Amino acid sequence: MATYRIDLPGLDPQNPASAAAPCLVASADSRPLRAADCLAVIPARNEAGTVADVVAGVRRALGCDVLVVDDASTDETAARARAAGAGVLTLPLGLGAWGATQTGIRYAQRRGHAGVVTLDADGQHPPEALPALFEAQARSGANVVIGTCIARLSRAKRVAWRYLRALTGLRLGDFTSGLRLYDGAATKLLAGPAASLLDYQDVGVLMLLAKHDLSIEETPVAMLPRREGHSRVFASWWVVVRYMLNTTVLCIAQLDVGRRHGHVTSDPA
Amino acid sequence: MLTGQITSAVLGIALAGAILFLVRRDHLHGPYALWWFAVAAATFVLGVFPIVVVWLGHLTGIVYAPVLPIIVGVSLILIRMLKLDIDRSKQERQIRRLTQKLAIIEQELERVGGRPARAADADSDRA
Repeated sequence: MATYRIDLPGLDPQNPASAAAPCLVASADSRPLRAADCLAVIPARNEAGTVADVVAGVRRALGCDVLVVDDASTDETAARARAAGAGVLTLPLGLGAWGATQTGIRYAQRRGHAGVVTLDADGQHPPEALPALFEAQARSGANVVIGTCIARLSRAKRVAWRYLRALTGLRLGDFTSGLRLYDGAATKLLAGPAASLLDYQDVGVLMLLAKHDLSIEETPVAMLPRREGHSRVFASWWVVVRYMLNTTVLCIAQLDVGRRHGHVTSDPA
Repeated sequence: MLTGQITSAVLGIALAGAILFLVRRDHLHGPYALWWFAVAAATFVLGVFPIVVVWLGHLTGIVYAPVLPIIVGVSLILIRMLKLDIDRSKQERQIRRLTQKLAIIEQELERVGGRPARAADADSDRA
């Protein structure tokens, strides 16, 4: 089982950072995040086949606490994750990938973690790539670092992303990548009710971050093909159309946000 | 014309009665009760005294008066539906946050007392 720190400020000898008030708000805070102070959040729905390897890999790569948020799975996901050494939250109702991720973010906020790193449970994000997110964060001081694999994007996705770039004004290579590092300020914002009605972790979340002047940085990472399961967003044409329509409405309602803020820095590779 | 008036009176009284019954039985919560009470009163008045419609049409300059309650009715239905979806979104947010909180509290409860917790605590020193 993962270690959980006592979250009374100042009482944890292993984590002096937690003494300085959990989750500092200052967005200008450019202190690099330490992996050990963060919580790795893995949203998982019926990923029993891969979740244990992912958990073990993250613990090896970062040595931080790992939390699997079981999004109302009907298989052995929770038990396998627990056996692999992760803390497990089980949602009684399916909330979707973002709802599950936000649960983990709220948990991290509650326990006083300095930041949150998220990745998918299906094994497409190699845990070895995780330190690269922390390096990018230390280098750029960004509030959010997104790990993207441009080469992996299909033609349909490239077209979709070009459209979203035009619509949102956010200059990002990949909007849906679930491989992300959020610092304290981003964690605080995303744990709140403002992010609770979002259905996906992509455009809505990114626009919310941009709206609150938090900076987003992209860093290229190598990704593996999904071993099992498939993208929840790009599952079928009907889902894609519905997703694009929802996202378009979301963007039109906030046309000014992405353009007003030039906070997204991309690392083209 | 008389039969038409009887029909509208019956409809108005029946609808008003049904709404009043539901409000009395506490099937409608606070602000909804007020809204539906007003609707019941309006259907009653318009049903029993259709002449009010003609008078209102004259007042607002609408030549074909009977269309007036339809316009007003449809507008009110739209507003009502909009409010309904606003309320539903608010409830959805609350349900999601409660679901998340429930999962968090459940895990914390297990760590403090329940069976899976003891195994977790024993292991936690190693991890």
